[in-house]
Amino acid sequence: MPTSPDVTPLHPSPLLHAIGLVKVFHASGGREVRAVDGVGFSIGTGEVLGIVGESGSGKSTIARMVLRLIEPSAGRIMFAGQDITALGDEAMRRLRGDMQIVFQNPHSALNGRRTIGEAIAEPLRVQTIARGAALHARVDRLLDLVSLPRAFRHRYPHELSGGQKQRVCIARALALEPRFLVLDEPTSALDVSVQAQILDVLGELRRELSLTYLFISHNLAVVRTLCDRVLVMSQGRVVEEGPVAAVFANPSQAYTRTLLDSVPRLPRI
Amino acid sequence: MNALLAIEDYHLAIPTFDGPAQVLNGIDLALDAGETLGIVGESGCGKTVLARTILGIGPGRAACTGGRILFEGRDVAAFSERDWRGIRGVKISMIFQDPMTYLNPLFTIGRQLGDAIAAHARAQGAPRPGRAERRTRAAELLAQVALREPQRALDSYPHQLSGGMRQRVLIALALSGKPRLLIADEPTTALDVTVQAQVLRLLRDLVDRLRLTVVMISHDVGAIAALTERIAVMYAGNVVEEGPTTRVLARPLHPYTRGLLAALPAIDGEIRRLAGVPGTIPSLIDPPTGCRFHPRCSRATAICAAERPAMRRADPAHSVACHHADLS
Ligand SMILES: Nc1ncnc2c1ncn2[C@@H]1O[C@H](COP(=O)(O)OP(=O)(O)OP(=O)(O)O)[C@@H](O)[C@H]1O
Ligand SMILES: Nc1ncnc2c1ncn2[C@@H]1O[C@H](COP(=O)(O)OP(=O)(O)O)[C@@H](O)[C@H]1O
Ligand code: SF4
Ligand SMILES: [Mg+2]
Ligand SMILES: [Mg+2]
Repeated sequence: MPTSPDVTPLHPSPLLHAIGLVKVFHASGGREVRAVDGVGFSIGTGEVLGIVGESGSGKSTIARMVLRLIEPSAGRIMFAGQDITALGDEAMRRLRGDMQIVFQNPHSALNGRRTIGEAIAEPLRVQTIARGAALHARVDRLLDLVSLPRAFRHRYPHELSGGQKQRVCIARALALEPRFLVLDEPTSALDVSVQAQILDVLGELRRELSLTYLFISHNLAVVRTLCDRVLVMSQGRVVEEGPVAAVFANPSQAYTRTLLDSVPRLPRI
Repeated sequence: MNALLAIEDYHLAIPTFDGPAQVLNGIDLALDAGETLGIVGESGCGKTVLARTILGIGPGRAACTGGRILFEGRDVAAFSERDWRGIRGVKISMIFQDPMTYLNPLFTIGRQLGDAIAAHARAQGAPRPGRAERRTRAAELLAQVALREPQRALDSYPHQLSGGMRQRVLIALALSGKPRLLIADEPTTALDVTVQAQVLRLLRDLVDRLRLTVVMISHDVGAIAALTERIAVMYAGNVVEEGPTTRVLARPLHPYTRGLLAALPAIDGEIRRLAGVPGTIPSLIDPPTGCRFHPRCSRATAICAAERPAMRRADPAHSVACHHADLS
């Protein structure tokens, strides 16, 4: 069994391996915020790792470091066996297609003046991967993947519901056929009924495309429906880690217990 | 006996560019003093419009196209602006989903609570309370909503407080006039789960201690079940099922209610695929005929598209509007 999650990959060949990640922000008044304070984990190919924790515990900061959207203050990130911590812009750009992110708020993630088709095609066009009829066909296939009607390509974001917009964001993230997807609270801004639909789509895609996810949420019940393993975060540190079933059935930390007890549930009848 | 609040066959249309949207389509609800009612339904089904209409702050160009709303036996449509001043924030208070929108960023919490306390005194014809008294009473209100360090909070500006603290301040503001009715529109939706649980516990506690009459609105059945004795399920401008919370949860009769329950991920028990409700809420400008739920309903038959199902009773307290509900 692993003694320290900082150094021991749980998987023989993890797709992603984060080692001793630290992020210090310099807030106003010269104050230092240690948003992430020595976090390590690994995600096996095809695995879904959940990160839970209350607001401000450092979840999104980890997500952004892992994708190199912000620079870690310390620590290393290995992706598919390659150390990407110090990778230059050009090499990182090529890697972008392999790792994508979906954010919490689908309303602000889409440009209101672009059609859905244009939004989904954008990464393909930027990386000049497809054009013309081939591009059109790729967009159709992506709409199919997230169960949106193909006719939606002509619509604008304001004509779509929140759940539909989030499907578009997922389709766009899948455009470059990534192996690894970071989902940062993809359902927190949505209704419970729409959340169920999105979780279902994510489960299907994972099976169909053998995707690997890092799934962030503050709701443990949501994590439980999708994830294999879970990290519980508090104040920038990992307080508990393990297979979802084990952690939920028998949490070793009082903090995890609090998170579990917080999930609204129906009274036993 | 007169209900505190009675909504009778209420219809509301909102003009839009593409024609009028039939946003409320014959709502019937009644609430006695001391009762707690939850209204649950997907976003866009008309919950907020209903809540705001009760308070006379509905969408500007909206028109009532039938029915009425009675508060303390009086038709709210007949209230003058002066009448409303004695009602809004006094007899009926509301808390909203996004506390930031309803707190003034430029004034301290103490100042905003103090102003509310002074306004209530004025409304009751009492002399204006002095500075020290306003501060004491503001601190009491914050203590009532279990805000830690109330003195520090009084001197803080809204942005210096966390989301959970701001929601507590808003609840304190809502309670400052000792309202007869509290309407809470998605009071916990914007909060993270731990804070959500704390705010729900606080509301539960206030209901018990102050015997508040509450209408709580949410898209999350779990949150509603934590607080209210009765539940009304809304779909596309209609109440489709209503009854005691325990009974509706134990024996949901409407296919939509079942879908909402199946969408809720569970923290224990078998991990199952979340069924949820397929599809999305329809346009209210050109709503489906008959039962508005029929395009998404797996049990729909020809009659569902042809005739609007009437509310029928399964037992004296539990009713449902569905042609195929099993009432036996
Ligand atoms: N750019 C920044 N500058 C200063 N502090 C920051 C910055 N970004 C994040 N922080 C701080 O880092 C900590 C962790 O933030 P993070 O966004 O990772 O939390 P989170 O777990 O994703 O929370 P939530 O559930 O609310 O999304 C917080 O204290 C936050 O205020
Ligand atoms: N000011 C407005 N003008 C036009 N349509 C509105 C307005 N406010 C709400 N609506 C429409 O009324 C319907 C119900 O909205 P709302 O009550 O906010 O839903 P809920 O609170 O259940 O999410 C929606 O179709 C919405 O688009
Ligand atoms: S009336 Fe028909 S369409 Fe409506 S809920 Fe019942 S079975 Fe479904
Ligand atoms: Mg975050
Ligand atoms: Mg609303």
